Amino acid sequence: MSAPKNDLQQLIGNTLRWGVTVACLITLVGGAIYLFKHGAEPMPNYTAFSYDNAADHPDYYTTLHGIVQGVLSMRASSWIQLGVVALILTPILRVVLSLADFIRLRDWLYVAITAIVLAIILCNSFQLF
Amino acid sequence: MTILTFTIILLLGAYCAGLLGSLTGLGGGVVVIPLLTLVFGVDFHYAVGGALVASIATSSGSGSAYVKEGITNIRLGMFLEIATTIGAVAGAVVAVWLNNSTIAVIYGFVLLLTAVMQQVRKQDHEGTRGSDMARRLKLFGTWPQKDGSLKAYELRHVGGGFAVMLVAGLLSGILGIGSGVLKVIAMDGIMKVPFKVSTTTSNFMMGVTACASAVVYIQRGNIVPGIACPVLVGVLFGALTGARLLKRLDVRLLRRLFCLAILLVAFNMIYDGFAGKF
Repeated sequence: MSAPKNDLQQLIGNTLRWGVTVACLITLVGGAIYLFKHGAEPMPNYTAFSYDNAADHPDYYTTLHGIVQGVLSMRASSWIQLGVVALILTPILRVVLSLADFIRLRDWLYVAITAIVLAIILCNSFQLF
Repeated sequence: MTILTFTIILLLGAYCAGLLGSLTGLGGGVVVIPLLTLVFGVDFHYAVGGALVASIATSSGSGSAYVKEGITNIRLGMFLEIATTIGAVAGAVVAVWLNNSTIAVIYGFVLLLTAVMQQVRKQDHEGTRGSDMARRLKLFGTWPQKDGSLKAYELRHVGGGFAVMLVAGLLSGILGIGSGVLKVIAMDGIMKVPFKVSTTTSNFMMGVTACASAVVYIQRGNIVPGIACPVLVGVLFGALTGARLLKRLDVRLLRRLFCLAILLVAFNMIYDGFAGKF
């Protein structure tokens, strides 16, 4: 009982660490391009947010497709967003790993519980694709 | 102010937020919100996006250390995440209809509760007899003692804990913070989980909960790159420093001072919120 649990915990610990490292590196690349290109410009206006035109922001994307396109054309904002996506994926990957481990342990109750958590998150991500 | 100046100030602020968040166990989001809204006058709907990034960064950054030590109860965390993720998605949906002042008041009251709960004595709940429900869900666990041995614990009131977790999720969906205070109330206060286990499990859950609302927020454009970049990098390094310092420092004085700061910010938010200043 305790040995496989430790394996699971080690793996999760490593996933979290690698995930945040990758997210941080990608964001740093984006941040460097952003400051190099736009550092001297005045700060954008963040004092009012409107949901009405949120979908068509001129300077960043709200879909994975848009973000990937932007990354390929070296857009700073897209690189930063890719970093944020990597950061968000880290805990999700953690849930996936737990699911795999509960399957390995044949702990069907927790396979179901973990699958529910995963489904809740994925159900709400569809608009990203 | 140029983008460069804004980025540097926010980066330093976020570093402190990550450091304080991990030393006090409250998460980075709690400090990021007042930093963005009170200092820079940023709209709450942007600030919440920044706080979400901060919450995930603190959880993953300092969480990896705890998981390795075997304190976190993964089954308990996973079971309660059903409640927190449902709550978080609902919160993210509700947030669209809330104006800045309402969010400020809600945030203020969560801070007040946090400050009060920091004063409550933490217990290990020795000798708690677990309920049948908890036994069937395999929620009992062990946690390492100072001498290296493992101590078993049981827990109870699964339904009550689950209900409070729904509220905790709802609040983190609206505010972008981990709402660790409600998670600890649910686990420590209701389910009688040993304090150390409930704190680490709460931190462990924070990342997944924040993700559930972050996927909604990123689709709506609340997570803006110019804010997310310094917040992500700053909070992450702050949390890593904090996790390292935590092993050596006695943080009781810091926690007391932080508690006062929280009270001041809470009153400021509630007052300004009711006065409609945001």
